Amino acid sequence: MELEELQQVWAELSQEVEQQKKLNHKIIMEMTQQKYQQKFDKISRYETAGSVVCILAAVFVLFNFEKLDSLFYQLCGIVAIAFLVLLPIAVLRALKKIRSIDLINTTYKETMIAYNKAKDRLLLLQRIGLFSSFIFFFITLALSGKIFNDKDIFQETGIWFPVTVVLVGLGLFSWWGYRKYLSITGSAKNLIEELEP
Amino acid sequence: MTKEEAFVAIIQDHEGVIYKITTVYTNSVSEQQDLYQDIVYQLWKAYDSFRGESKVSTWMYRVALNTAFSRLRKENRRPRPVALDHVNIWPAETYDKEFELRLRAMYEQIHQLNDLDKGLILLLLEGKKYEEIAEITGLSRSNVGTRISRIKERLRKKMTKKT
Repeated sequence: MELEELQQVWAELSQEVEQQKKLNHKIIMEMTQQKYQQKFDKISRYETAGSVVCILAAVFVLFNFEKLDSLFYQLCGIVAIAFLVLLPIAVLRALKKIRSIDLINTTYKETMIAYNKAKDRLLLLQRIGLFSSFIFFFITLALSGKIFNDKDIFQETGIWFPVTVVLVGLGLFSWWGYRKYLSITGSAKNLIEELEP
Repeated sequence: MTKEEAFVAIIQDHEGVIYKITTVYTNSVSEQQDLYQDIVYQLWKAYDSFRGESKVSTWMYRVALNTAFSRLRKENRRPRPVALDHVNIWPAETYDKEFELRLRAMYEQIHQLNDLDKGLILLLLEGKKYEEIAEITGLSRSNVGTRISRIKERLRKKMTKKT
């Protein structure tokens, strides 16, 4: 279909649509009362719930910090607390940034650029979280062995099979996730580059 | 006329425009209804700040396109087969099979474009001049011209391939 034909079909459509006015006062005002933000709030709720779990875990490590009796375990504890507190806060901030983009007083181009930049930031954070989860996995293992059983878990002979299985699973998940992130951020970047003068 | 009555009158005057935007940016009836509602909600929110410096239609297109785009991004939608079940708007007594096929063919072409180009072709089909498209989208006039030429070229190539 060439443009001229598209225009012709569009004109016929417009004529048809004009003849079929459906909205009345009540329906229109009901629409303005709907809380459209609710849908996006759902994602934020999941992220907030996840963050609360992370903060609780950080508090747990903090309260058991005295059980970490060597410099190695104390360092693991500090890294874990930092990971559990800082990353969720950064993700929530990035989400807030996306939500607060002004749709009313900006142009289509500005909205696109703002969204894509905010989304890039959010995806970068998620990517950092994904890859650091490998390190965090070993830190959690070391800390839980120490806190719950006062043992060096890496000295236990039976743990390496389940650890390997979890690592392979984590690796596959990360590879899949990373490919997804690459394709999403890639298209966002292309769009921004096309829009820049 | 109260604020509410004035707003309702504007929406009623332009409900066709909102309908067409929602059809271009969604893939199903339920998505279309959600987007329609979002657009009306955003227009109501924006209504107080509309000072009449631009045409009502320019303001409406701007808010509606921004809402459509923001929704697309929030949902992180990936390309998927388009059902196009939501393009048929006719009551049974005036149903025109031939026109419906042409309409579907048109929407299929539009759905293949990227988010920005969808907005541009929509505005062009609505009969907007390049200057007004530039004002609505925030692109420069020359950028609008270049992009529309590319869209036309793409459509032409598709046509050539088919024949």
